[in-house]
This record gives sequence, C-alpha cells and structure tokens, in this order.
Amino acid sequence: MIDLLSDFLSSPVMAASLLPALLIAVVTASMSVMVMAHRLSFLTVGVSHASLAGLGIAVSMSLPLLPIATLFSVAIALLLALMPKRQGISEDAGTGILFAGSMALGIVLISTATTTRVDLFGLLFGNILTITADEKLWLYFLGSLILIVMLLASRAWWSIAFDSVTAEASGLPVGALRLLLYGLVGLTVILCVKLAGIVLTAGLMVLPAACAWLWGRSLAGLWLLSVGFSVTGTCAGLIWSYTYEWPSGASVVLALCGLFVASWTINTVLAAIRTQK
Amino acid sequence: MSTSIVKVSHLRFGPASKPILDNISLDVEAGHFMGIVGPNGAGKSTLINIIAGLTHPDGGHIDLMGECLTRYSRHRLLKQIGFLHQLHDHQPRLPMRVSDVVAMGLPNYAMPWSWGDDQGAILEALTLVDMETLAGNDFRQLSGGQRQRVRLARALVRKPKLLLLDEPSAALDSVSQDRLFRLLRRLCDETGMCAIMVEHDIAAISSHVDSVACLNRQIHHHAMKGENIPDDVWRAMYGEHIQIVAHDAGCIGCSPDTGGDHHHD
Repeated sequence: MIDLLSDFLSSPVMAASLLPALLIAVVTASMSVMVMAHRLSFLTVGVSHASLAGLGIAVSMSLPLLPIATLFSVAIALLLALMPKRQGISEDAGTGILFAGSMALGIVLISTATTTRVDLFGLLFGNILTITADEKLWLYFLGSLILIVMLLASRAWWSIAFDSVTAEASGLPVGALRLLLYGLVGLTVILCVKLAGIVLTAGLMVLPAACAWLWGRSLAGLWLLSVGFSVTGTCAGLIWSYTYEWPSGASVVLALCGLFVASWTINTVLAAIRTQK
Repeated sequence: MSTSIVKVSHLRFGPASKPILDNISLDVEAGHFMGIVGPNGAGKSTLINIIAGLTHPDGGHIDLMGECLTRYSRHRLLKQIGFLHQLHDHQPRLPMRVSDVVAMGLPNYAMPWSWGDDQGAILEALTLVDMETLAGNDFRQLSGGQRQRVRLARALVRKPKLLLLDEPSAALDSVSQDRLFRLLRRLCDETGMCAIMVEHDIAAISSHVDSVACLNRQIHHHAMKGENIPDDVWRAMYGEHIQIVAHDAGCIGCSPDTGGDHHHD
C-alpha cells in the first residue's frame, strides 16, 4: 500500500493533477450540499450537458475553451432560473429542452470544426491528467471565487432552503439569492468538467452531499462530511485510475458511488438495529 | 394614545372588475391582538401575505410602524415583523437542531459576519413556547405540534413589533391551541407587540383577541371586544345556509342574537 502511494505520488502526471483534483473535490462537495438542499440535482445535469454547446462555440471559433464554456454555462443556469416564472414552463421541462438543444448544437459545432482536433472523449468523460498550466490557473481562480461567495451567502441559502416563504418575509432578497446560487452552480459545473467530464459531472455534484445526508446532524456537519466523502472518493479514484489505467473521471465517480452504497447500507443496518432495541 | 403598527388604506388585490380583496382598510395599534376570520377563499392569507410584504397589492397602500411599505423600506421594516405562514405537509429535510431553526429568525442571521448567534435570545424564545428542554434535539424528529411551536419561537426570537400568523393552530390540539392564544395575549399585553392572526374557528379565538375582522373579499364587520357580530354579516360571509350556534355569552361574535347596528348586502 505504501509502495503504491509513493509510486503514485512520484509519478509526475499524478503529482501535477492531484492538487487541482483535490480543489475540485472540495469546491464541488461544498456546492453539492446546496444543490441537495435546494433540489437542484437535475439542474446540474442540464447545465453540464448544455456546456457542450459552449465548448463547441469555443472550438469552432478557436477561442479559449474554459472561459467560453464558463460564460456559456453560467448563462444557461441563469436562463433556467428565470425561464419558468416567465413562460409557465415547469423547471424540469425547461432544463430538458435547453439540455438537449445545447448538446445537439455542441455536437454539430464540434464535428464540423476542421481546424482543431478536439479530445471529445476527454470533454465528455473528463481527464484531469491532461490539465494544462493555463487551465490550472483558471480552476484555482474559479474555485476560490466559488468558495468565497459560498461562505458569504451560505446562511441566506440555508434559510431559503429551510423555508423560502419565511426567508422572504424576513426581508431576504430571495429572487436575487436564487439567481446567485444558479450562477454559482453553473460555475461549479465547469470546474467539474475537467475532472469528470460533461456526462459524469452530476456524479460529483450530487454524490458527496447524498453520502453526507445519511450521517449529518447539523448544517456544518453536513458540509464537513460532504467534503470528507468527496476528498476520499477523489483520492481513491485517482489511485485506481493510476493503478489500473482507468479513465480518471469515471474512477472518481465510481469511488463516490461505492462510498454512497456503503454509507447507505451501514446506515440502514444501524437504523434497523436501533428500532430492534 | 398608542402608536399605529399596521395601517391599511383602501387596499385592493386582483383585477378591478373581480377583486380578490376590495377596499380593505384597517388600523391596528401596538398591543392589539386582532383575529381575521372568514370562509375558504375569502382572501385571508392574501391579506396577511400583502401585509408581510410578500405580495404586492394592486391598489391602496400600507403603512408599517408609521412608514409606507415600499420596495426600499421593505427590508428594514420586515426585520421588525415575525411571520408564521400556513404550511401544507412541510417535511423538513435539513439536519438541524431545534436551536438552529430558531436562530434563523434572528434579524441578522443571514448576514455573512454574524456567525455567533445570540444563544440567550434563542433560549428565551424557546422558553416562551415551552420547548427549551428540546433545544438540542433534531428538528426533523419532532411532532407536528412541536415543530409549529419551534416555528413560533423562530418568529418571536427577533422580538417583533408585529406578529402575523396564518392559521397557526392547524397542527395543534385544543390544549396547545389554547396555550398558544394565551401566550399571544400575554405578549401583546406585556411587550406591546401587535398580533394579527388568521383563523377560521372564531369560537376558539374570540375570548383571547381584542377584535375580530370578518373578511370575505371585503371586511364585512370589525367587532371589538364585547360586541356581537350580527347574523346578516355571517350570511354575507358564508352564505344563507349557515346555522348559528351559541357559545359562552362573554365572547365576541358568538351570540345568537340577531340585530345590531351594521347592515351589509
């Protein structure tokens, strides 16, 4: 085991990608708690898939990938936050429409782009091992921005998640805070795409909080547990990825799924024992 | 002369041809405990939501604590209001201790710099609703009635000048209901808080409140303590097929006597 770890850490590719992967793990775990509390799991699926169109636009116009994708996914998230109220279309239907439409646009744009060769597999399923220095800077910037905003707004968001009517009646600008949350989910999705890809991003945005929810007894506990599960899953996933040469994003998501199944089983057994007593 | 806490003038909500609330005027002073009664769909919750700043009226205006309720004054004014809204099967999902739930009612709870919550105020509010021994318990594991009392503590922890309650007794048995009304009565008398409460059971509240407003699109009658609500008001509110049953004679609006000084079509 020790051999494996030192091997893992001495590999230059792994060492270079470990820090960004851990940052992504911490940020997405923090946001995933809010995603669960506000029931936005489907939004994360929608926005992550829609971001393919952003990547497609960047590829076909030879613009920098991550900044364009970031703008695009934040715009989509905000659009989804505003759309249901305006047109009377339910939020899940709106998400479905934008999700399919943007993905189709992305596929067409990327497949017709002849100038650059794009690692479509990497975009879809993530590959932290190919992260470039520019991308790292961008991730550090986004990651710290998300964490700072989240620290500032978390209490207001908890208030809204607990009871939005009372939150509004106590003077909180609920509409604006919701927009901010959606925008931040859009940013976080872009952070995840590098690690888990468009298809697997929802795994990073939902699983850590889902694990934490089984054990959390307070809001702070929920947050810490979520970060703990996420960091554990990411480390385990990267080690598997290194040892068995599995794709990194899929390995991390599998590790998180494993943690969830284990948590759920232990939790259910403990609950059964408690009721027996 | 006490100060006016809520002053509603010529309030209208809904289209002019078919308003949901029409020409509502009310003036409620500090220390006053008012009940609003009326049938389903009478606009009771809408009226409470408008006073709470959640819904914008289509006509008329509202003064809270002597200041006009606008988009700009809203934030400041709402910090002085406690609000307990009607809940339909609200299942709490967040893992929170009872004291954490009450803390959410503190006026500066959501501000990023207010991390240390005022534990003294929280305990005081929980003591008012007899829940202080459960302060450390998981909110999700409480009964419906206990949760309702914690929500009331959450509304009271900010020491509101105005407390708005929308059918607060829905989840309570008759003993807790009576205890709730007594507590509200005491707070109004001792702290000068003003309370406006929507209920549909007038018999349950009449011996506790200072006045009762009978609402069905309009305010049909505003009975002060010791005054009877005439039969024709009941008919205007609930229709012709209403049977009026006598309760104890001392309470407002329960007398079977017909007559009285108000006439409504």
